[in-house]
Amino acid sequence: MGLRFKILSGFLILAMMLCVAGAWSIYELSAMGTSVKGLLDENYKSISAARIMTEALEREDSALLLLLSGNRKEGRDILKAAEISFSNGLTTAKNNLTIPGENAFVEKIEAAYKRYSDLWKQPIVGTDLERNLDWYFEKVHPAFLGVKSEVEYLMTLNDRTMYHTAMDLQGRAHRAVMPGIVAILASLVFSIVFSFLINHYVVSPIIRITEGIQGFLRTGQPVEVNIETDDELNRLMSSIRELLATVKREK
Amino acid sequence: MRPHVVFRYTGLVLLLNAVFLFLSCAVSALNSDTALFPLIYSGMISALFGLFPILFVPPTKEISNREGVTIVIASWLLASLAGTIPYVLWGGEFTFTNAWFESVSGFTTTGSSILNNIEAVPPGLLFWRASTHWIGGIGIIIFVLALIPTMGKTGLVLYRTELTSLAAENFHYRTQKTLQILVFVYMGLTVAETVGLLFCGMDLFDAVTHAFATVATGGFSPKNLSVAHYNSVAVEGVIMVFMVLSGMHFGLLFVAFRGKHRELWGSLVVRYYLSALVIGVLVTAWDIHAKQYPHWPEALRYAAFQVISLGTSTGFATADTNVWPQFAQLMLMFFTLQCACAGSTSGGIKADRLVIFWKSFVKRISKIRHPHAVITPKLDGLLLDGELIETNLLYIVLYVVIVFLSTAALSAFDVDLLTAFSGSAAVMGNVGPGFGAVGSMSNFSQIPDPGKWILSITMLLGRLEIFGLILFLTVKSWR
Repeated sequence: MGLRFKILSGFLILAMMLCVAGAWSIYELSAMGTSVKGLLDENYKSISAARIMTEALEREDSALLLLLSGNRKEGRDILKAAEISFSNGLTTAKNNLTIPGENAFVEKIEAAYKRYSDLWKQPIVGTDLERNLDWYFEKVHPAFLGVKSEVEYLMTLNDRTMYHTAMDLQGRAHRAVMPGIVAILASLVFSIVFSFLINHYVVSPIIRITEGIQGFLRTGQPVEVNIETDDELNRLMSSIRELLATVKREK
Repeated sequence: MRPHVVFRYTGLVLLLNAVFLFLSCAVSALNSDTALFPLIYSGMISALFGLFPILFVPPTKEISNREGVTIVIASWLLASLAGTIPYVLWGGEFTFTNAWFESVSGFTTTGSSILNNIEAVPPGLLFWRASTHWIGGIGIIIFVLALIPTMGKTGLVLYRTELTSLAAENFHYRTQKTLQILVFVYMGLTVAETVGLLFCGMDLFDAVTHAFATVATGGFSPKNLSVAHYNSVAVEGVIMVFMVLSGMHFGLLFVAFRGKHRELWGSLVVRYYLSALVIGVLVTAWDIHAKQYPHWPEALRYAAFQVISLGTSTGFATADTNVWPQFAQLMLMFFTLQCACAGSTSGGIKADRLVIFWKSFVKRISKIRHPHAVITPKLDGLLLDGELIETNLLYIVLYVVIVFLSTAALSAFDVDLLTAFSGSAAVMGNVGPGFGAVGSMSNFSQIPDPGKWILSITMLLGRLEIFGLILFLTVKSWR
């Protein structure tokens, strides 16, 4: 195997170690970016939508109490605004189905909300239902708690996914940094081994050949340098031996 | 000593590592797990570091004893270091200290783990973890049984206890043939156990990883509860049979496979090893019966598995031995110190050395009675001369001293005495689990970082005793 190939292979190995580590770090960093985007776009949006829905539900519950106490206008105004707010939140959640099973949660919220809103969409003020607290506690309040708990399930699902994504991010950050550290350390050790081998198999034989030739020139002693490898240096040594033998013969 | 020669031959070990790292990559790719890139990169580094010295350094016909020993020690250290890379790159519970501990534990076939949740580790990395056992195991049998006999007088004097039966084979075969025999036995046992476990209903991955860990007498299981996870008498039965076989001298096993059973049963060491296991199982079962298990079959089942597991230095578990009565724990501690036969992948003091110790004790008593008598004790045809007996005794004393020093060092880091002593004895014997915080159903994660380094050094001393420590102590005989 030629010297050129050996030296080239050393540098190629170094380059390969650094390039692969770099490529891997870039991959992990871009994957981290995707995870962060997912975290913000998908989970955070759903959590925010769930918060809006919970707030709207609380306002609807207060509005219902106003209706029960006979405040029709104020109660209906609040209900109308809260209903719009709830449906906005629900639409956001519907358009952001990113977790397996999330669709089922949203459908359950929709069904539970329909049951709840059907109760207060009927006239209350001026009917038997006004000041009817039994109706509120037996029908309306359980329906309200039902929708609220469905919204909380959606929030918990997204919270959990967010936690897992954050954990995954931690792992990805580790995997983005470590190849660099390992590559630097491996390259350092490899450089030392490479230098040692170059010194042993290339530099030292050249020094010994040079000393041998100088010795021949001074004393005429034959050059005896043992080259272990079968490469250009071995062939150089053979040529020098032939040259010196010719020189000696011609003298 | 020629460092370039050491580079070349340790490079071969790194290449073997690379082969298994790439196999682990295949497992990882099949499972689409997160360990793929860490394994690919580690495989690449191992392959490049292994190949490069081979490109540069021409093969050498003559390797001196000093170079041979350095190659062995360097191989174990470098393999362990390369083995940490996939763990460190993957992350999770693996800090550098934890990764080093896990890697050394794998290559020395100890089987002590720092992992709290093994099942959270991706399959590709678990396959690599099991492979470290298998590589370590094959390394032990190749170096001890095939290469050491070629080292000349020094090697033969120091390793005679390891060579008792295969040494005779070596006169008939060249090293190449001996290597083939050993690899055949090792691979044959691995394949046979894998098939056996598949028949018991294990999936292929679990069967292969358990077979790797059993044949190497390692003990890494891909399950948090070790073999207890399967709660299957059939699985335990197959693993027990192969633990016992892997604890025997591989040369004797080969001879027995060739139909010469008499040689196997004729060996005093094998007879002692099997008798000790049977007595150990019965005595332990007697002690745990009623106190821990109400029925005899249950007591026998758990006693048999734990005694064989520790008595062969494997370290699998089917029960929490921390809650067993103290006498049963003492029995297990005896087997943790003794372990199995020389010439196997087992660690510990070894049955052979205890038999030699007993024979030399009997000889001494006879000499006291008959001062002029010429007594030449023999063990399986091997003449037990003064030099061998002295080396044997020196080894046992050194072994106990190292366990004591490791215990003391661990205690200095606030590790309780039971954990420190049993943990030190377990890692020195390459057994795996101890008692206390490092019991059969727990792990070494609670040991402080300096303690993990002490224990990993103890593991290496336990594994390299045969190559390193004694040879360094007998430095004059190298010349």
